[in-house]
Amino acid sequence: MECVVQGIIETQYVEALEILLQGLCGVHRQRLGVHEICLKSGPNLGFVASEVRLLCDIEQAEPTWTVKHVGGAMRGAGAEQISVLVRSMVESKASKNVLRLFYALGYKVDHELLRVGFTFHFQRGAPITVTVSSVNKMLKLHATDEAVPVTPGIQLVEVTAPATSENYNEVVAAVSSFCEYLAPLLHLSKPGASTGVVPTAAAAAASLMSDGGGTTL
Amino acid sequence: MPLKWVFNWQPNAGSTVNSQILNEVSQCVESINGVKEGRWKATLTYYKPMLRDQALAAEFPRDFLGISLPEQPNKYYFILRGHKIVLEADSSIQLIMEKLQSYKSRVALNFEGFQYQLGDFQLRVGKVVPTHSENLRGIVMEVEYLPISSLEKSRQLMEEFVDIWQDAVSKRSLPGHFLHIEPNFSDYGLADHYTSQHTAVQYAHVMAQLIASVQAGQAARN
Repeated sequence: MECVVQGIIETQYVEALEILLQGLCGVHRQRLGVHEICLKSGPNLGFVASEVRLLCDIEQAEPTWTVKHVGGAMRGAGAEQISVLVRSMVESKASKNVLRLFYALGYKVDHELLRVGFTFHFQRGAPITVTVSSVNKMLKLHATDEAVPVTPGIQLVEVTAPATSENYNEVVAAVSSFCEYLAPLLHLSKPGASTGVVPTAAAAAASLMSDGGGTTL
Repeated sequence: MPLKWVFNWQPNAGSTVNSQILNEVSQCVESINGVKEGRWKATLTYYKPMLRDQALAAEFPRDFLGISLPEQPNKYYFILRGHKIVLEADSSIQLIMEKLQSYKSRVALNFEGFQYQLGDFQLRVGKVVPTHSENLRGIVMEVEYLPISSLEKSRQLMEEFVDIWQDAVSKRSLPGHFLHIEPNFSDYGLADHYTSQHTAVQYAHVMAQLIASVQAGQAARN
């Protein structure tokens, strides 16, 4: 299970966001380069269609693979009132044959993306990860060297935290609380409920860039 | 990690495996000064595709196996023997497969028994039984040589040990023998340095031998 919010920010303000995150998180950023392959079951396989994501970390000297299943969001009146998406999510590290295995099992590429940017991992009431990345599409199958941005000039910001059915309320609170600090630069909301860029972003970014993050927003 | 050879009990034509053979084999290990250390268990699962149209079953693999090994409690291994694919993943991959619902467990087997220390060797003798059943389907043995990880460097030494072992077993006049056929690991992209992926591939091949000998036995009786 995980808690997720997303938002977008213009590329010109990413440097300011990084300064803000550096100050808030107290840790150094890590480079992100992930080739994400979204597989879907073939037409006859399974009584219902299934999807699985293969994530290849291409920042490592030896690329590492993760299999990720993202399930349905929590439902009900309580879930609708929460500003953070709570959904089932299971991950597993896997050896490099994983794409061949899923092809052989009858899965096919639905789409693939290349995410390039950076992440911050830190503890603030819950283990939180902030990912800032440009999302790129490949013009040819698996050609990560020939990727182009899906939305030039715009980057995706994602804040995630692992949760369980016992503690998701605390995790939601931790994520919501953290997101308030980012409000001058971007608005974070449930995936699929984007509100676009925020009008205060330019001024906030200018303030951050002028004194390297010493200003309190 | 140390290399190991996995053996499958091959009954003589017209005979079947039984618990008396298992007892004799265990006594044989102890007779060559094997020190019983404790229990071990591996679990192998055959998966079948869930298909809306059974007529298209030939398009999907029938030899999709998963195995958990006692020496890697947080890992799970998938093998597609026909495609020569072996995958090592976290144990959570089983939960992912459950959520996908594209493949489900068809039959699961336990390999379980005792392990023995014999100098630089570790032996495991185990029965093959379906989970939730005591119906003996086979006997397996693992011979692990602790100091070396290289398959090639250890080959002669392992063969010498196996000669001693086969000699000890043959004195008991059992209706069968242990068979080790080394898979072509390079077909699976595996190197000379031994890993648990090698073990997973050996078990997949042992299962194929076991099924073949059961089917041969059934054909002979018919």
